[in-house]
Amino acid sequence: MALLSANDEPGAIELLHDLGCTDGLPVVIPTLERVARMVLASGLDADVVLGEMGPLGASVTVEKVAANAVMAGCTPDHLPFVLAAIEAILQPEFDLSEVQSTTHSIAPLIIANGPLAAVTGIASGFGALGPGHRANASIGRAVRLCMINIGGARPGTSDMALLGHPGKFTMCLAEAEAASPFPPLATGWGAGASADVVTVVGVEAPHSVMFVNDADSEDSPERLLRVIAGVITNTGSNNLYLRSGSVVVALNPEHAQVLAGAGWNRASISRRLWELATTTTGVLRSLNPAFAPRGDDNDKVHVLDSPDHVLLLVAGAEGLYSAVFPSWSAGAHGNVAVHQMVVTGQACEIPGASNSGVE
Amino acid sequence: MRDGIELAHLGRAVVALVTEPFWPQGDLIALSGGMPNVPRLRLPHPVAGTSEASMAELAEQIAPRLIAVLRGDSDPDNPSVEEAS
Repeated sequence: MALLSANDEPGAIELLHDLGCTDGLPVVIPTLERVARMVLASGLDADVVLGEMGPLGASVTVEKVAANAVMAGCTPDHLPFVLAAIEAILQPEFDLSEVQSTTHSIAPLIIANGPLAAVTGIASGFGALGPGHRANASIGRAVRLCMINIGGARPGTSDMALLGHPGKFTMCLAEAEAASPFPPLATGWGAGASADVVTVVGVEAPHSVMFVNDADSEDSPERLLRVIAGVITNTGSNNLYLRSGSVVVALNPEHAQVLAGAGWNRASISRRLWELATTTTGVLRSLNPAFAPRGDDNDKVHVLDSPDHVLLLVAGAEGLYSAVFPSWSAGAHGNVAVHQMVVTGQACEIPGASNSGVE
Repeated sequence: MRDGIELAHLGRAVVALVTEPFWPQGDLIALSGGMPNVPRLRLPHPVAGTSEASMAELAEQIAPRLIAVLRGDSDPDNPSVEEAS
């Protein structure tokens, strides 16, 4: 890693800005001491290679990730989630080089499952994707800074997103497992109900889903699913035209209870959303003919390839609003979700460092 | 660009076609792929969504030069790294 020097911290921040090494916001200066302490928290050697990150194809070492975690404001407690998320997006199935380079606004959404998420302070409730939650903000930001500084993604030259969205700064939350009537999302990957896992999927910004439950109406759960399916089927979404990739549905706990109370589970919800999220060849032909499938105008077209492409999580606070995250639907692997275990057993305790930042 | 670099690594003659806004990205990918001088030709933007007739016209225009670059009879649009520096 290159070693830079500056007269003082304000000068160092300006230097990092000038070199394009930030996300546009001030960063914590990754001094040798701070990075070394962050590496120590990983329990791994600094030069352990996690993979190569595109589009530059640079080698991803623990030390480089630690430096970016310091810059993002992470505490050592956050590092296992950062490392897991980085290992997840380095999996070939994530198509990271293409994700970094596309003109679409795709950004990695990091979802934490397991007891360690709450211990680490990763929020799952009120405003979990908004400001005010240090772990959420710092972990997602660390991943983005790695994508900038290791992967080389810079706007207009290698990150070709035409507009981008604010989730490209950071987008990390925990599933609201305690408030959820369903088993954790990660159990769908075969993980145990108490396993610490991060799931990462490239998505657009969340689209709000407003629904008012009527407890006296038997068809209220079905109406909720129809409203969600309507958002999945919005006519600007890549999912409609490329019909691949995952769509994330974040049910708030109240909406989740509406469905669970009526006997719906993860599998049946996903299947019903797949059934409902349809359009016709004629509609696609009338809007973006280059992306319409062959066939008659009245032919039904499923927006999602299969029910497995509905990524259902419970998050946020109770109320009227859930959310749908459309996706890019492209790349060699079709914009699928990836997951990685969060490893903490190899970490050692850093005197005076727990929950107190890197200084 | 990556396809071109992969083929060039296999020893095949290649020319990457890069549209105007993606030219800097092409330079970066060529550099990161270890082939900064991989030949490239500049195309107008956009190509996506262009009609088949327009695409055919563009292909007619670019094909002779593309073949000439492949044969080594013409220079690509990218200067060699040595020349650029």
